[in-house]
Amino acid sequence: MKSSSPFARIMSIPGMPMTLVLILAVVVFQLLNPVFLNGSTVANFLTNGIPIILITLGVAIVIIGGGIDLSVGTVAGLSAGTTMFALVQGAPLAAGIAVGCGTGLLFGLVNGFLVAYLRINDFIVTLATLNVAAGLLVVLSQVRPLQGVTVPGFAELTKGSVFGIPTSLYIAGAIFIIAQLLLAKTVIGRRLYAVGISAQASNVAGVSVPHLRLFTFAASGLLAGVAGVLIASRLGAVQAFLGIGYEFIAIAGAVIGGITLAGGGGSVWAALVGGLFLATLQQGLRLNNVDPVYFSIVTALAIVFGVVFERQVRGVILRSALHRTALFASNRAKPAEQDTAIATIERSHDNGK
Amino acid sequence: MTERVDRSETTPLVLEARDVTKHYEGVTALDHATLAVSRGEVHALLGGNGAGKSTLISIISGVTMPDSGAIALDGDVMASSGPLAAISAGISTIYQELSLVPALSVLDNIFLGREIKRKTLGLPLTSDRRRMEREVRDLAADFGVSAFELHTPVSEFGALKKRSIEIVKALAFDPKVLILDEPTSGLEDAERQVLFGYMRSMRERGVALVWVTHHLEELFGLADNATVFRDGRTVATVPMASTSIDKLVTLMFGSDREEFGGGDTRKIAHLKPSVGRRVVLSARNLTRGTVVRNISFDVHEGEIVGLAGLAGAGRTEVVRTLIGLDSLTTGTVELEGRRLSLRNSTSAYRAGLAMLPEDRKQLGILPDMSTAQNISISRLSTVTKWGFWMSRRKERALADSYRTQLGIKTPDVDARIGNLSGGNQQKAIVARCLNTSPKLLIFDEPTQGIDVAAKVDVHALVRDYAAKGGAAILIASEIEELLELSHRVLVLKKGQIVGEVRDIPAAIEAGDFARIKSEVLTLSAAGQTS
Repeated sequence: MKSSSPFARIMSIPGMPMTLVLILAVVVFQLLNPVFLNGSTVANFLTNGIPIILITLGVAIVIIGGGIDLSVGTVAGLSAGTTMFALVQGAPLAAGIAVGCGTGLLFGLVNGFLVAYLRINDFIVTLATLNVAAGLLVVLSQVRPLQGVTVPGFAELTKGSVFGIPTSLYIAGAIFIIAQLLLAKTVIGRRLYAVGISAQASNVAGVSVPHLRLFTFAASGLLAGVAGVLIASRLGAVQAFLGIGYEFIAIAGAVIGGITLAGGGGSVWAALVGGLFLATLQQGLRLNNVDPVYFSIVTALAIVFGVVFERQVRGVILRSALHRTALFASNRAKPAEQDTAIATIERSHDNGK
Repeated sequence: MTERVDRSETTPLVLEARDVTKHYEGVTALDHATLAVSRGEVHALLGGNGAGKSTLISIISGVTMPDSGAIALDGDVMASSGPLAAISAGISTIYQELSLVPALSVLDNIFLGREIKRKTLGLPLTSDRRRMEREVRDLAADFGVSAFELHTPVSEFGALKKRSIEIVKALAFDPKVLILDEPTSGLEDAERQVLFGYMRSMRERGVALVWVTHHLEELFGLADNATVFRDGRTVATVPMASTSIDKLVTLMFGSDREEFGGGDTRKIAHLKPSVGRRVVLSARNLTRGTVVRNISFDVHEGEIVGLAGLAGAGRTEVVRTLIGLDSLTTGTVELEGRRLSLRNSTSAYRAGLAMLPEDRKQLGILPDMSTAQNISISRLSTVTKWGFWMSRRKERALADSYRTQLGIKTPDVDARIGNLSGGNQQKAIVARCLNTSPKLLIFDEPTQGIDVAAKVDVHALVRDYAAKGGAAILIASEIEELLELSHRVLVLKKGQIVGEVRDIPAAIEAGDFARIKSEVLTLSAAGQTS
């Protein structure tokens, strides 16, 4: 869209409008309560927020590939439980972490297999595994209490710090850098976007759609597993219903960041921004002494606002640019194709509903 | 609006094309073409491939600017100011490719971009669906779309209903002239009859219909006049009552065989015969349920094998099994002597097959990706470092080299492919296929929905590919195109091969185009030669 203004071009970068909103939110909360940007508050806030942001990243990968993963929340909860369980049973630290991550990966692979190779609707599959994971955690928590881990180093995963920066921030940072490179720079990332844009057309072009789908769910599961380990480390105890509802926040974070549910669009950055925004919002409310019972209402409203905002901003930009280029500046394309172009945009917006 | 219009000799002209000329980079698409259409008339626009029909309608509908000449509506010369101006002046067009938005309701499609707004908080923001429905309810009912269906997404309807919806969409804005580009494509026989009924009722509403078609037999009893084009020139306008198919064919193609749609021997010359050449692909007893039955054939080096047949004969189904999109019930495929396991498209591509699919918009392009990304996607290893790390530089270089080589017209290979014209998108898909260095390339309707100039280019690409020794399978619904490009044609009917026509280039060179054409058509329709 050569004819669009620099502003329109900047705002059309996925996640960019939300980045600005995030900055605005930080400024507002800082003005309301100067403790907000205090070093320890920020550290605490990031440690709390990182697991959810990792889950958001996982869901975002699935969504970019044109799918949806509802199981991430309870899978993270179960992974926290299995890690705890292994450590309580006396497993060494590395084994405990591996068990947690492995739990997530296993669920991801099962989801992926059912969706990609048995071609069951991903919504149904992950709704089922959501409940399986939740159920397993209840069972596990009844086998023995999931708390009282004394394995050295485990709590330090989240509570420790290196050079004054929380340990989990290093972990999350590394994961985000890897994910960013994977999506933006590798063959897998390219195919991921292609499949998200059109699974049908990708298939015709020889892209292995099932492999790709399996990959997205595996990645999502693994990230939920990592998140679970961090949650266990932070809480020190795992309750039976841990993780329920996280999928809502994660999907919401991805959508708020500007990742359209239609697939094929979005980025690691968008997921990060969306996740951070929700975390910021909660932190800000907490610091301003808003009763936590209102959090979910405010979060939900923020999601609706975020989606509408994102859509309006992008819609206005794309539409104006499109009408300018397609209808007035150029006589080349057939009207039918312009309609399709407009329709594609409208569809991508409709699907975001 | 609904009164019966008297179509006597004195009916005034509603649409006129006066001396319209248009060149596409050296190719003369229209050469002082003329057209005169009266009120409430069904006027057929005839001509072979590249005769200039599509160019003329794109000029009439304001999409293309003529180099010289003018379009007059009700005697007033129209300013060439784009398709929207043409529509508001009263010229609507229904294109061969459906241009409805599948996810939107019928009503929203009809009013797309022209919604009746209701004021919310003083701003015209929301669509007033109730008013929109009131406006078109009766009209829609006349063309078989019920009030209930107005609120149903278009994706749930079949081809005929979609045509009806397009008709309602066009008529909702009281056009004086409605251009129908191959309106019967994709319709079954019974559905065609329904459509013809609709066309009569549009005529009775006083709308002048300009009807572009290749199916001459459809015209009789419906069209009032026909204007025939050949090589961009208007050959004649004849009343249908006083003509016959034979006369029309002679007008369309001339008495000189060289001028046939497929008779250009200069292009044919370098299509070498395939006798004695190496077999590239060997398919044996391909069967998929009842849609593909026991199909066996070979494709040789440098040979283009055309698949002919009517809609539903199983042509696309055959190539879909070859490329691994649909699985075979039984049958074997060997590529250069190696047995292929056709589990999925990835293994087919890896083995050395590639396909340019029909329906470019749905199956071909990845609209949100750039031209460069669309070209590289089938073989990303050609644009990577170490096999997995994407190299933007290599990807650009690859795209730029194909841009020059295939003449893809885009200012920037990094621009979104969805913004390119159909022809250029198609060239990019050809580039995508070529980039996999295929041993066998499948062209499924390679020129569907692209303009004359691009068609010529794509034909050249297909020929060039074969001339360099490539093996290809071609599907083209336009029989002229199929014969013009193929060495050999296999005719399919109900999923089986019912006949084969060999040595087509030689036959065309010998002036036998009409004979082989009628042979292929007879085989397609009857399953045997008469």
